Amino acid sequence: MGNRKNSYSMIVAIVSILIVFVIIKFIAPYAFMYLLAKDHTMPTPSTLMLWYMILAILGSLVYVSTSDLKWAKFLSFILPAGDDKTKAIFQKIIVISFPLLVGWFAYSGTMPGTASPVELRIQHPTLLQEYEKLENPFANADKETKRRCVEEGKILYQQNCRPCHGSKADGNGPFANAFRLRPINFTDPGTIATVVENFAFWRIKEGGPGLPNVSTPWDSAMPAWKDVLTDTQIWKIIMGEYVTAGVVARQREEMEH
Amino acid sequence: MHKVKNNLILKGLLVCLFAVALAFSCLSDGFAQSSQLFRTYKKEASGKIPENSEAIAAGKDIYEKKCYYCHGIKGDGNGPAAPRLDPKPRNFTRNEYKIRSTGLGALPTDEDLFRIISSGVEGSAMPFWNTLTVEERWQVIYHVKTFYKGFKESEGHEIVPIGAEASSDSESVKRGKELFKEAKCFLCHGEDGKADGQITTTLKGKWDLPYKARNLTKSWLFKGGNSSEDIFRTVTTGINETPMGSYADYLTDDDRWHLTHYVKSISHDMKTEVVLKSKLAVGDLPDSPGDEAWDAVGSAELPMAGQIVASPRFWTPSANSVKIKSMYNNEDIVFLIEWDDMTNEQSEVYSDAVALQFPTKIPEGLKKPYFAMGESGKSVVLWHWRAYEESLHAVKEEAGDDSETATDGGSVVAEEQEETGHAEEEDVQEEHAESIDEEKATEAPKDKFKSFMTISEMNAKGFKNLSVQPSNSQDSKGKGYWENGKWKVMITRPLVTGDKKIDIQFETGKLIPYALAVWDGSNKEIGGQKSITSWYYLTLEMPTPKSVYLYVIIAIIMAVSIQFWVIGRIRRFPLEIPAEES
Repeated sequence: MGNRKNSYSMIVAIVSILIVFVIIKFIAPYAFMYLLAKDHTMPTPSTLMLWYMILAILGSLVYVSTSDLKWAKFLSFILPAGDDKTKAIFQKIIVISFPLLVGWFAYSGTMPGTASPVELRIQHPTLLQEYEKLENPFANADKETKRRCVEEGKILYQQNCRPCHGSKADGNGPFANAFRLRPINFTDPGTIATVVENFAFWRIKEGGPGLPNVSTPWDSAMPAWKDVLTDTQIWKIIMGEYVTAGVVARQREEMEH
Repeated sequence: MHKVKNNLILKGLLVCLFAVALAFSCLSDGFAQSSQLFRTYKKEASGKIPENSEAIAAGKDIYEKKCYYCHGIKGDGNGPAAPRLDPKPRNFTRNEYKIRSTGLGALPTDEDLFRIISSGVEGSAMPFWNTLTVEERWQVIYHVKTFYKGFKESEGHEIVPIGAEASSDSESVKRGKELFKEAKCFLCHGEDGKADGQITTTLKGKWDLPYKARNLTKSWLFKGGNSSEDIFRTVTTGINETPMGSYADYLTDDDRWHLTHYVKSISHDMKTEVVLKSKLAVGDLPDSPGDEAWDAVGSAELPMAGQIVASPRFWTPSANSVKIKSMYNNEDIVFLIEWDDMTNEQSEVYSDAVALQFPTKIPEGLKKPYFAMGESGKSVVLWHWRAYEESLHAVKEEAGDDSETATDGGSVVAEEQEETGHAEEEDVQEEHAESIDEEKATEAPKDKFKSFMTISEMNAKGFKNLSVQPSNSQDSKGKGYWENGKWKVMITRPLVTGDKKIDIQFETGKLIPYALAVWDGSNKEIGGQKSITSWYYLTLEMPTPKSVYLYVIIAIIMAVSIQFWVIGRIRRFPLEIPAEES
């Protein structure tokens, strides 16, 4: 005959599921705020939450059923408590809270709620053919001309781009907060450093309205600068912008040889 | 055995955590988009290096790579980017330094300059220079100091001490409110702290001087920080070269803390909601902003920027945030839009105004019209309220007394009241609201929102493709109230209209994109010269259907029966616990 002492493995399983829940729901938002150096907590999305909880429950069930002994001990918690008063209390809690939990799920599932808007977008769409072939007219200029172009470009950048993209090119200009699709942070190595200059040229010239649908042109506040800036000015801005951000454009791979 | 179990649980937890971490690193960009990056005034000033000619030369080099675009090569605040800046960049050739720990008129300490370079100035273009190393920041400071000879002449600046903060409680706030009157703060900062005081509006409007009092209700725009200590420091040391003086001699330390606590109490943080919930009202919708029904409705405060999308672009807008609430019943939807505007001066050309923008059709799926006035093929509908038209409307209503009495009788008393009180526009408006209340009981349903004027409904397919709807399709009405530096404008329209092609038809439960634009007439804003928002979402809350409760009851009954069946079964046929493995 098994242990005379009552097994609490069911409680251990429930408690560990609860711990997982608390960690994901309440601790993770703060942990990630610090880890990713954000100014706000980062709540776990509800679909992720659901999956993690399903995983946690499955994991516990797998654990308690790894051997006949564990499974029998797990189920033995449901047997009459006898003299064990703590067990009796736990049993009552489980018997009451299980139907309540199911009821709450039914309520939150059928309650007409507000869906959060889905706003998926591709940040770097494919560069259009017509822009692929263009070349920076100052690419092969002498050092002095280049220096002058960079300086003119920096001035144009500070006049036209700074309100949103910021003096430091970090996407923190005074208007930046107003656009839900935040202006790009050029100092981030995942932005202008990963594209060729032609890509930047296309984005500046055609702006948000020139984006394909996969990149949600309707939400982008990037102006199509072709209305006031000449191509030469745009090339200069690109040269100045990379210097301001302290990054280098991706170099085009040589297709020949 | 126990150890093994603990280890497994621990491992399980670790795996879970790792999975969460992975998921987050993928999602973090999505979150960042809705974040607000409002900053604090950083107090620390460390790593000071000696002030010598090498440091100054190195500082000059940095200054001419990073700073001069706004502050000018000679430090006079006239850099090439300056014309598009509001507020203007600091002129370093004079003692214009605002955020100081030293007394009024004194020069700032090196540490003060370090703090500003490290913190930036909220609400202006000055960024926090985290991209400069501490050493580089000191070098730049030493160079900036060479622009004004006063730094060389005066030795040592006395720091005004900030004592321990007096505790903040309702008594302190109350005393602070009294001091706000006694010390005449309201003359510039306005009765409600909305920067609409007489002196400010005179300096700004009539004399065109660049002084603007701080709007004390928007804590995220306080220069030099919004902590109690920061506010106390500003009240104590004043702001050089502006009408904001030092109150160190005029008010005791305790009184300045009281004043600080009062300022804290009237300021708020911006809380932006991506989805605005329009509340279902039982019965009539409120027809004035003061109606208690509004108190129970959640609001969204949206940050605004100048219209920079299409030429001519607008770099120096007046409004920087707007607040919106909404309610609906089975016939109409109503919006309450509030924004701060220190003046109420309207002309035919330049008038305060607000526009609500919706897609003409509620979009299915991801695609929306372009957020700034739509595009060809995907049009938007705009409801445009203008303060100037409203003042004409008010005048017309007064003049049209006789004819109106003839047509709808009933309201003679109320309109007579109007005539006596028309000196001040606000009075008239208030009485309108009152008269409506009085009449409500006897009015037929079609007379709801009676004092509202019909506002302009337009369709746009891009900036240059704007058309006013025919007069028989103008279904929305609006009414505005301006008081103490704040506009409160209500706009209403029936949920559905007869013009399905050009009007949005509201439906419950859908996510409906909306955007706002605000014009400030006294800032010469008109047409594309305006403040705008991105797309946000409106949703008309659905009533809870009765079936929900039925489902819950069924679920609980099922759960209970299954539970007891399982318990019964296990108790009847208990599993043999196998002998302990050795």
